[in-house]
Amino acid sequence: MVTIGIIVGWTAIAAALVVLLAPAAKSTGPQAMPFLGGGTPDTHAWQRYHFRPYTMALLFIAFEMEMMFMYPWAVVFVSEGIKALAEMGMFLAILSVGILYGWREGIFRWQ
Amino acid sequence: MAVTRFGSLAARAPVPIFAAIGPGRQADVERLLARRGLRRAHSPRDAAVLLVSGDLPDDMLEALSRVHAQLPHPRATVRWIDETADEIADRLRDAWHDLCAGVTDEEDRLPDVPPNEWKGVGPHGQGGEGMMGGTPYGRSMAMTGPDIRDGLQLDRYTARIGPFAPMLPPGLVLEVTLQGDVICDATVANAAFAQPAGADAPELCAGRVVRLLGLEAAADRLIEGKRPGAVWLRGAVPSGLGLAEGTEARGRLGAWLAGEVVTVAPVDLPDFLEGAEWSEAALLLASLPPSAIIRATRPTEVA
Repeated sequence: MVTIGIIVGWTAIAAALVVLLAPAAKSTGPQAMPFLGGGTPDTHAWQRYHFRPYTMALLFIAFEMEMMFMYPWAVVFVSEGIKALAEMGMFLAILSVGILYGWREGIFRWQ
Repeated sequence: MAVTRFGSLAARAPVPIFAAIGPGRQADVERLLARRGLRRAHSPRDAAVLLVSGDLPDDMLEALSRVHAQLPHPRATVRWIDETADEIADRLRDAWHDLCAGVTDEEDRLPDVPPNEWKGVGPHGQGGEGMMGGTPYGRSMAMTGPDIRDGLQLDRYTARIGPFAPMLPPGLVLEVTLQGDVICDATVANAAFAQPAGADAPELCAGRVVRLLGLEAAADRLIEGKRPGAVWLRGAVPSGLGLAEGTEARGRLGAWLAGEVVTVAPVDLPDFLEGAEWSEAALLLASLPPSAIIRATRPTEVA
């Protein structure tokens, strides 16, 4: 009951502060435009750009996942035997598809 | 009561001024705004007083009213024609005090409507073709083109920036096409305003670069002719940037900090800026003396 009271009360305080402290000034139409020092844009500002480090991130995650699962796998490898080897083989095959994709995207071309 | 007390407290703060600099007034305005008690705002949204200096050409008045409309209420405009700097500083402070007391405001010059109406395909203005379709608020979505670095198909954003953009020389309107923040195409839509040789003064040029780097107080001290109070300012500019006539941006800043006037032959501005990131381009432009930029953007007058 106390917990619910704290949650509701805290939410009410936060909502009241938002209403009380909201700036009074409202944006007019021209103020909603991007500031270009008096210039005008041709197209909408929403544009897609290339996040260039993503192939690097892909490669990092592929190798990191590999190592993350290989530590516990190494502990049980001796007792599980050939079954564990086959399972890890499948897992590595899936991860290597990601590495091959990164290769195609040019991640190994150092400049 | 409380409002007037807050107002009188606010009136003690430096006056936030957005400067629309006209032909021949760059040096005067930069020296004026380096004074104690006046502050150069980064954008109209940050400002309360619009300082319009010099005789603006008629085709710049539309851009000026766009800047004026972007100042939040309450706002004031101060025209600087031929008063002395002291008179203008007093008028700016008076305008700020009146704004803080809540007695003055200026009406909008532009109508309070979106600059472009929303037009969509559907009956309620919705829709278009995928991410690139539709014309939200009258502007189309950016279309793709090959990236200048590796040919990937990326969105191209075209806009005209200036003539009162604080990071560009006054009067210069650059039509830039950006992919992300990389300039893949730049053309000069309007030449920079002519400025007297005083705008090339080393302390003003150094102040411009240092202000762009975000060191406002150091820039103000440089313009006043004092030591900047910051160590190794040259090091803030990467070496190898902005090669023109055998000097680079860092070397030019070093010369200005040492109090030497730098002269550079006019560069091919589009060629100079293409491939640079936007922030880098602003630094490149600030690293050239105004005379070089004016001659570079006005090729017909030189010939």
